[in-house]
Amino acid sequence: MRTSFYLAVPIMMLLSITQSAIIARYPLLGFVPQLSFLVALSWGLLHDVEEGVTWAFVGGFFIDLFSVTPTGVTPFVWMIAILVVIQLSQIFPTSRYIMPTISGALGTLLYIAMQVLLLRLFGYQSSLETVIALLPLSILHGILILPVYWLMYTLLQRIRPRRVSF
Amino acid sequence: MNLNNAPQRIRWGVIALLIGIAIFLSILDNSGNLDNALAFLRNPLIAILDWTSARTDTLADALSGPRDLQEAKTEIERLQERLDALERENEELRESQGEAQLLFDLFNRARQAPELTRVTANVIGQDTNPAIRSIIIDKGSEDGILVGMPVESARGLVGRVFRTAAKSSQVVLITDSASAIPTRLGTSRATGILRGGGLGGSMAIDWLDLKYQVEIGEVVSTSGLGGKFPQGIVIGRVIEVERREAELFQRAIVQPAVDTESLEIVFVITDFQPIETDIFSDTTETP
Repeated sequence: MRTSFYLAVPIMMLLSITQSAIIARYPLLGFVPQLSFLVALSWGLLHDVEEGVTWAFVGGFFIDLFSVTPTGVTPFVWMIAILVVIQLSQIFPTSRYIMPTISGALGTLLYIAMQVLLLRLFGYQSSLETVIALLPLSILHGILILPVYWLMYTLLQRIRPRRVSF
Repeated sequence: MNLNNAPQRIRWGVIALLIGIAIFLSILDNSGNLDNALAFLRNPLIAILDWTSARTDTLADALSGPRDLQEAKTEIERLQERLDALERENEELRESQGEAQLLFDLFNRARQAPELTRVTANVIGQDTNPAIRSIIIDKGSEDGILVGMPVESARGLVGRVFRTAAKSSQVVLITDSASAIPTRLGTSRATGILRGGGLGGSMAIDWLDLKYQVEIGEVVSTSGLGGKFPQGIVIGRVIEVERREAELFQRAIVQPAVDTESLEIVFVITDFQPIETDIFSDTTETP
């Protein structure tokens, strides 16, 4: 986990800067994809739940640094969403296309709902309309997770090649 | 989940620890106890964000520029080199013209209300949370920016400073669902609280008395009531009026004058002193 944590810090830091300075200017179908979330979820799906939760913590923390939401809310909701989705992924179809798609969409739905609830708890004016308005984002994430998942898979192969015994 | 297994126990322990840290951080930050520590982390990141934002602008300009050049290539081959130079010059002039127009608008805005002191700031980032509407500007506490200061552009009100760091600030936009601004309509003189619609919603003034004949197209500006914003800053126009005779109030949907998605430069009004209305409640509680 330690090696992965040190890898997560620079990657998530760069992603959060990219998110705020570049991606936010070019929304896809009116939505700004949360690349850090997709990366954390993909990493967790490819590795294990602890890794996914760690990456979600780091990614959410950096995301909150560029947001007015209280720091800690995004890591919390991302960690819970990824924890639940990775546990549930065992019952999803094992196809490498369907499993990430369902996980991406479901995870997004979960974290958005929890985030709106938490923000209300902290006195922010988030409503059910916000959740409904953000629903298409979960579909977008379900599609966008596929290239991210593939990239993370390639990265994982590079840094931790499978051992071959003779 | 088998917690009798030591590695499994450690794994779930790490997860529980991270979740606990996240909860602890959010409670601390929400109560304002983490501002200094987070500013220490935020400042270098904002510097990188500023740099990235500037490079993105340059790249976007470079990518949008050569279209004319391509057309010119096919038309006049022999003048290619000269055309390149002219095209570059033209792009620079166009950019300068755009900037000059922007500054002219800002100057006009400053002239309309000369009693207010303003600090000009560049927009360097947008909120990373899709549920929140806020922007990051490149001026902070070192430039005299304080929490609560109103922010406007040449076209009208943009929002309010929510948090400051040494060299940057976060501004909650008027379109955010948390935004509530006391407003007055131009013609009917009706007053009410304008609420931001958040994502996918419209800005609206609820609870307008039915005695006012609110018309479509009326200018909406700040009323100055509540003491959080100066009076008379344009916010937008009424585009729809929901008037139900059965109810006691009417509702006006407002289109903001400012396109919050494409903001480049904003003004922070630095000499406006928001009135702290909490003192009144304190007085009543004092025995």
